[in-house]
Amino acid sequence: MSAAGGGGTGSAGRLTRASHRARALALEVFRKGWFVTLVLLVWWLITAAGWVDPYKLPAPGDVLSTLGTLFTERALMSDLGATLLRLVEGWAIGVVAGVLLGLLTGGSRTLEDGIRPVIAGLQSVPTIAFLPLAILWFGFSGTAVLAVTAFGTFKPMALATYGAMHQVSPTLLMAGRALGARGLFMQRTLMFPAIVPSLVTGLKMGWSFAWRALMAAEIIVTGAAGLGGVLELGREIGAIDVVMAVILVILVVGIVTEQLFFTRLERWVNRRWGLVGAR
Amino acid sequence: MSDGPALRVSGACKTYERSDQAALLPTSFQVERGEFVSLVGPSGCGKSTLLGMIAGLIAPDSGSVEALGEPVTGPGAGRAMVFQDAALFPWLTVFHNVEYGLRAHRVPKAERRERVQDALRLVHLDDVASRHPHELSGGMRQRVSIARALVMRPGILLMDEPFSALDAQTRTILTDELQRIWLETRPAVVFVTHNLIEAAFLSDTVHLLSSGPGRIVKTYDVDLPRPRDEAHPALLELRHDMLDRLRAEVGGAIARRAQIAEVTAL
Repeated sequence: MSAAGGGGTGSAGRLTRASHRARALALEVFRKGWFVTLVLLVWWLITAAGWVDPYKLPAPGDVLSTLGTLFTERALMSDLGATLLRLVEGWAIGVVAGVLLGLLTGGSRTLEDGIRPVIAGLQSVPTIAFLPLAILWFGFSGTAVLAVTAFGTFKPMALATYGAMHQVSPTLLMAGRALGARGLFMQRTLMFPAIVPSLVTGLKMGWSFAWRALMAAEIIVTGAAGLGGVLELGREIGAIDVVMAVILVILVVGIVTEQLFFTRLERWVNRRWGLVGAR
Repeated sequence: MSDGPALRVSGACKTYERSDQAALLPTSFQVERGEFVSLVGPSGCGKSTLLGMIAGLIAPDSGSVEALGEPVTGPGAGRAMVFQDAALFPWLTVFHNVEYGLRAHRVPKAERRERVQDALRLVHLDDVASRHPHELSGGMRQRVSIARALVMRPGILLMDEPFSALDAQTRTILTDELQRIWLETRPAVVFVTHNLIEAAFLSDTVHLLSSGPGRIVKTYDVDLPRPRDEAHPALLELRHDMLDRLRAEVGGAIARRAQIAEVTAL
């Protein structure tokens, strides 16, 4: 590389830059990937050495090939699709309901004082405890699972909305009032946009609550398509490679939504609201 | 709109909870239509409380405020306010910030558009209408804030230390700008500041307030033709008088504080 190090010509400069970028990327991959690699290696060693019964711990390669089979021969894709659809629906319903309730009642001291403690109390009950109730109301079906997912999102979203409303700058509210904003107009045009940056954090939290509630409910309410049902099926037939393969899918879904959706959303909101690059 | 003064404050006073001393003793004064009045004094003299009462954001314990012939019970369209830190809505563009009050008052869209453009032209910011507040300098943000208030065509413009967060040059420029804008639009203005020279330069009348408890201790009339020059000898003399008065009234410590504040602000 030292020959091109002068960087006098354009192509040499590009080359140097490209190699810099490649080195930086390699370093990044190493920093973030060494531990996972180590775990996989140990896992592989244990199974290859035959120390553990493969019915308790299958080899990494077997899990991977099972994953392939599940997708090609067992239509895991439609289970994944059903789960994701339910997740997005339940989450969206919970978000809208939570934020609306927060905004409508957070504007009034009396309403908030009465309603907030109830939601905070409900939040201390794990959402899955409401599944039997949901099954009695909606039947042993995907609807019960959806209801629990939505409820699991609703509680933290309502609480996040209350919290965010108390953090809005009093001067901003005063400016709005001095300009004649009142009631619903105030909530819609000032309160709501002002809390959006804090709500994005709430959205992320709501998503993880929804995901947890959904998985637990799907494992119990089998029959409808979904990843939880496949997990439970794997347990019933003692196919540990299936169970681990599905866990892998769940893990990847979590990482991908976090990176692709929420990180971008956060970046966009922060830029639009002037939270970065502000003077 | 009836005749009579733009603003009449009659015996308005305020003591905050958890405080044994009055933030503002019963205070009375009047602002004529189109008159520029400043409230000057050190921190804790009640000038911001007084402004909050006039804006309808703080209720007086007793006494009353009457604006444009109506008793003040809350914020009103006839009174517009400019805050110290501009208090612009960060998620809205400059245009939509200025438009906000008109939307709150259900002004039709076509008229809103025209009035916002006029207001932005008045503060020389029509070229940044589509920017967001965080893309502007502090001085530009404060000019947007002035446009947002003036677009309401207020009979009374309330300004709460609008330039105190700005650097010295920007402050001088904006003070000149405010004089020009006021001469073009002529609302009654109540201008709160701790800067004596700024108050003298802009005002027809300056009320000097003192702290512990807050009250008006002296009133000055500034009878100079406009547009004025900040270096006018009469203004410097007036500033000197006011400083002397402050010293005599509230003792050296507070006057020194006001002087320091003014020196750092200039």
